[in-house]
Amino acid sequence: MNKLKQLLRSDKVAAFVFLAPALFFFGLYMIAPVPMSTYYSLHRWSGIGEKIYIGLQNWGELIKDPIFWLSFKNNLKLVVVSIGTQLPVALLLAVFLSSKTTRLAGLFKTIYFIPLLFSSVAIGVMWRYIYDTNFGLVNVFLRNVGLFSWAKDWLGDPKLALYSVMVAINWRFIPFYMILFLAAIVAIPEELFEAAMIDGAKGIQVFRHITLPMLRPTIINAAVLSLVGALKFFDIIFAMTGGGPHHASELMATYMYKRSFVDFRMGYGSTVAVAIFLIAMVLSLAFLRFTRRSSELD
Amino acid sequence: MKRTGLVIAVLALCMMLSGAALAQTIEVWHIYVSNHQTRPTLDHAIERFEAANPGVKIESVPIVNDEYKTKLMISMGAGDEPDIFLSWGGGPLLEYVNAGKVWDMKDALEETGLKDNFMDVTLGPVNFNGGIYGVPLNNVVGAAIFYRTDIFERLGLEIPTTLEELYEVAEVLKANNIYPFTLANFNRWTGSMFFMYLVDRIGGPETFENAANRTGGAFNDEPFVRAGEIIQDMVDAGFFPPGFNSMNEDYGQSRTLLYTGQAAMYLMGSWATATITTENPDVLENIDFFLFPAVEGGKGDPTNMIGTPGNNYFSISNKCENKELALEFLRYMTDSTSAELLVQANAIPPFVGGGDLLTNPLMIKLFETVQAANNVQLWYDQYLPPELAQVHLDTTQAIFGGTMTPQEAADAMEAAAQRFYNE
Repeated sequence: MNKLKQLLRSDKVAAFVFLAPALFFFGLYMIAPVPMSTYYSLHRWSGIGEKIYIGLQNWGELIKDPIFWLSFKNNLKLVVVSIGTQLPVALLLAVFLSSKTTRLAGLFKTIYFIPLLFSSVAIGVMWRYIYDTNFGLVNVFLRNVGLFSWAKDWLGDPKLALYSVMVAINWRFIPFYMILFLAAIVAIPEELFEAAMIDGAKGIQVFRHITLPMLRPTIINAAVLSLVGALKFFDIIFAMTGGGPHHASELMATYMYKRSFVDFRMGYGSTVAVAIFLIAMVLSLAFLRFTRRSSELD
Repeated sequence: MKRTGLVIAVLALCMMLSGAALAQTIEVWHIYVSNHQTRPTLDHAIERFEAANPGVKIESVPIVNDEYKTKLMISMGAGDEPDIFLSWGGGPLLEYVNAGKVWDMKDALEETGLKDNFMDVTLGPVNFNGGIYGVPLNNVVGAAIFYRTDIFERLGLEIPTTLEELYEVAEVLKANNIYPFTLANFNRWTGSMFFMYLVDRIGGPETFENAANRTGGAFNDEPFVRAGEIIQDMVDAGFFPPGFNSMNEDYGQSRTLLYTGQAAMYLMGSWATATITTENPDVLENIDFFLFPAVEGGKGDPTNMIGTPGNNYFSISNKCENKELALEFLRYMTDSTSAELLVQANAIPPFVGGGDLLTNPLMIKLFETVQAANNVQLWYDQYLPPELAQVHLDTTQAIFGGTMTPQEAADAMEAAAQRFYNE
């Protein structure tokens, strides 16, 4: 009896009780769907009627599905572009904003932060209008300055659609990483900069030898976030091109959506979903491992 | 003290529950968002129904077209479907019927006499295995080429009756810096209309029927390939505005070009008259239409149309607790007052006698054209099972975009059909 009371009073139990509600919802919405989708992926199921067990047939189809592999390639392109442009630009902006010589840093911070506050669909619709071939901002501007051949069908040309959308995606996510880096830069102890200054280091040198190494953990975290985010990306692409024209900007997630909810093939859609899960997991584990090893080498 | 609180809470809960039981609600899901031409008809029907049935409330839930289809499917899968829902009949509705979600209202329609309000042909898309699973709502639709009469007059153009003449008209328009057609093909069903018409004009309606019903035809038969070739030739000849494959019909990006006179022709379902009436009534004076021209040497009768005899349908779910009341609401939705409101919105009411109410000469001409059609083919994407419908729409968009050859597109469609039917 006494023991029970002791147990109830212990911090661990209290912690568990306080975490339980969050844990419940996390389990329900984040953990449970994984085994459930795996189960559905073994069935032919329209999402409403009966489920018919078909073994690994969906997986066999997935491996031979050219559209899935096309969307996988598009996702990889998005990963490369996201990490390759969002992080450097965000870092540059963060350094610029944290510099004491920057005037009106507060104003710029607010302006740069704005894209992150919009809903994704609103951003998608806005960029659709910006890219509109006949009346859009981009093409009207290009035509007005005489660059007629530069005015392209940004979202309708299969060669351009994916890259056009990436611009909108970058515009939206750079501020997020900027804030992340800004917070990390502010957290770097002032003495380090002062010591470097006393040793005669100039702007670029301070950045290379103080700021960058101190930001390393943040950069790795940001890269993993960007990697996983790009692998399961959905909303802006869906709002802007819907994966079209003819799958040119299809991503794995938009493809999963189409198979499940447009074609009424929930079983196959679940197969795509589980494949996305596996691919994202493998790539992020590999990435983390790679960065850990290279940091040990340091 | 604690207990008192609990008792009060339980009492409050009981009162809420009994209050909900007193007022009956019928939930209706539809796509008639606030600027939709059928919205006034629906709102008016709800008002009249609620006035005549005190204690019954209609909960009207409008959802934008494409999102609607997803939301409905998810709710069906979760067993959370509304009492009354909108559909377009055909393949997607059949999915729900096969899953036992939709009420067969045939007997009830006959007992209540409501069935006499509809011609058999308008019930075609909701007629499965001898049952009737919905009632038509808002329009008798045939796709036609709408055109700007003022532009045609100014340039001295005649209405083309053959594909060759259509090319001649297009040449004159282009020479005058006007896009021959406006087309917003992001949505894919818009470009599909060109494909469906060309297949019909080349091979007749049997071509599609035999391929879709697997009665000796295939989706890579010659007319399908030929239709794709003509489309790519039209694209190369500059029939369509730049960027047409990314323009969105739902946002009116196609009609903007028509309204501003930058494009002269618009192949669209005849709801276009109602849309134009809502969006830009002044332009309607300068709008007329003609049928898709014949293809030289083709087998299709040039009076044939592609369309739908009822456009939108309301079905009652099996889960609905008060089907008689729901059906009673559908009576209001399809009665003569509703028909008059539809006529005011420049639609053709799909009810018996609906055509007689029309006063606008353009609408009368449209109605007569649909009546005179030798055959009205339901849209492929409504006729086919959803999975095949998507392949059709995707491959057609690829033909327009030049990313697939007509032969590849036709073969892909046929392969999908063979897989679907396990041939």
